[in-house]
Amino acid sequence: MARYGMALDYKNCINCKACETACKEENGVLLGADKHRIWVGVKEVEGEYPHLSIASQTFYPSQCQHCEDAPCQDVCPTNATYYGENGDVKVDPDKCILCSYCMNACPYDARYVDDRTMTVDKCTFCTDTRIARGETTTACQNTCPTKVRIFGDLDDPNSEISQVLRQREHFTLKAHLGTKPKLFYLV
Amino acid sequence: MSIKEFITTIPVNKISLKSILSFEKTATNLLLAAIIVTFLAMFAIGVVTYLIHGHHAYNVTREHPWGLLIAVYIFFVVSSTGLCIVGSLGDVFGFKDYIEISKRAIFGSIVTIVAGFAVIAFEIGHPVTMLIYNVLTPGFTSAIWWMGTLYGLYLTFMVIEFVFLLKHDMKMARIFGLTGLLVGLAAHSNLGGVFGFLNARTISNGVFYPTYFILTAFITGIFLAFIMYGFRYKLNFTESGKKMLTNLAKIQGLLISILIFFVTWKMLTDVYGGMPNRAEVAVHILQSWTFWAEVILAMVIPLFIILKSSGSNVVGMFWASISGMVGVFFMRYNLVHDTQLKPLQTLKTTEYQLVPTWVEYFPSSTEIMISLGGLGLCMLLYYIGTKAFNLDDEHIEHKA
Repeated sequence: MARYGMALDYKNCINCKACETACKEENGVLLGADKHRIWVGVKEVEGEYPHLSIASQTFYPSQCQHCEDAPCQDVCPTNATYYGENGDVKVDPDKCILCSYCMNACPYDARYVDDRTMTVDKCTFCTDTRIARGETTTACQNTCPTKVRIFGDLDDPNSEISQVLRQREHFTLKAHLGTKPKLFYLV
Repeated sequence: MSIKEFITTIPVNKISLKSILSFEKTATNLLLAAIIVTFLAMFAIGVVTYLIHGHHAYNVTREHPWGLLIAVYIFFVVSSTGLCIVGSLGDVFGFKDYIEISKRAIFGSIVTIVAGFAVIAFEIGHPVTMLIYNVLTPGFTSAIWWMGTLYGLYLTFMVIEFVFLLKHDMKMARIFGLTGLLVGLAAHSNLGGVFGFLNARTISNGVFYPTYFILTAFITGIFLAFIMYGFRYKLNFTESGKKMLTNLAKIQGLLISILIFFVTWKMLTDVYGGMPNRAEVAVHILQSWTFWAEVILAMVIPLFIILKSSGSNVVGMFWASISGMVGVFFMRYNLVHDTQLKPLQTLKTTEYQLVPTWVEYFPSSTEIMISLGGLGLCMLLYYIGTKAFNLDDEHIEHKA
């Protein structure tokens, strides 16, 4: 069993949104459902002209953090949200009752209602699509022109993600909540 | 005795459409009848709109997934738990002064929770799936699972208790009443836990709501006791009724004082506690008119009426209780809305989009129609209950 995670070299992000487009294509996200599975957050330039801090403008690609202690899984009344065998957080649409409790509980706003199934959906690290077909990369990673994303097995010391996390400083979002996210931002 | 024989021994008045439509044609009664019919028509329109458009008929969004229907569901189940507590004073705890309201309060607790279920059925996207997978794959770590399951059990116990109250079997009524009360309190505190467990929402996280829900349930139950008695006796209360209501008003004075103390300290710790994402939300809440509607209608006005007359102004308390119930509605609406005020994504995601400071929400017409429909359904069921059952039985013989 693997323990999937993703490292984001977010300072390389150019906000081209190719990742979002590839994700939609791969996972059948509806047209118009922007910023649903993955999105790029934009931090504005700080300061007032002419004292603008160009360095302050950053793009933060984001998505489901696949927390090890996921609040969305804890609150699901029917266990529709569950941990996949590789530690990814998944949703069984047959069990989802659309109570929206997970949407309220997720600190990262990573869940949305899929209008096709009328259930709550989220990023799956492409485990139902590309990874299931034997690929080793997610759609967003595969398409990224500046190689922001590194997906892999955190338990494998020789995987690229494990090596990069050993070599570079990184942080996780809202770490104080104790959710143990598996999306790492490299600094 | 077989179940069939047992059911035949339950004292029920025969009712027909004709008997339901025959009531004293006073202006108040006609107005109430018109309100019930209008609300039920709105319920039908709201439900049809929902069945056609699904959640798109509501103004709920990804950022604000819970809306008016959740608030109204909470409003009804809080009312139910409160009436259960009031009803239990007499038949479970043996306070003789309150026995005369037991049957009416327990029946009220049944109709309010049925109305709550009727409303939530159109908020939960897949209610049938819920019934199946609540049993097949229960999420024991979910407060919603515990709340829903316990409320289902609670309704069962309330119905059984009511049947034994009708049959004047006080021993069995006490057993099922106590069980129902404990299950109801557990369910209700779990409803508070639904918000208390949210670590993403610091304004709600913690022990406050599970305990506060029980306190406000008792307060709501007493407001409803005044309203039900006021309509029953057209404000010309019997001596025993007056005595009971005066005592209830005194209890209410204490409970509202405790509530004001709780809310004051919640706000003080929220505003001055310095917790990230909590203080600014609390300040925003303090600046909203709905919060002050809750404070003035559910706390200040009833407490003023109680303190001014030491609880003896029961007619004044009837009107204050109507004000109180409107305030309790705002209390539930605020709870749901305030929990979701703070946006979780605080970065821009499109070029010209401003980062939201607060998540906005106002219910859609469909949500409002279904909510008022729930109220109409509750009033209709209660009215039918007054025709079908003798809720006035004041001299219950103790079998025990």
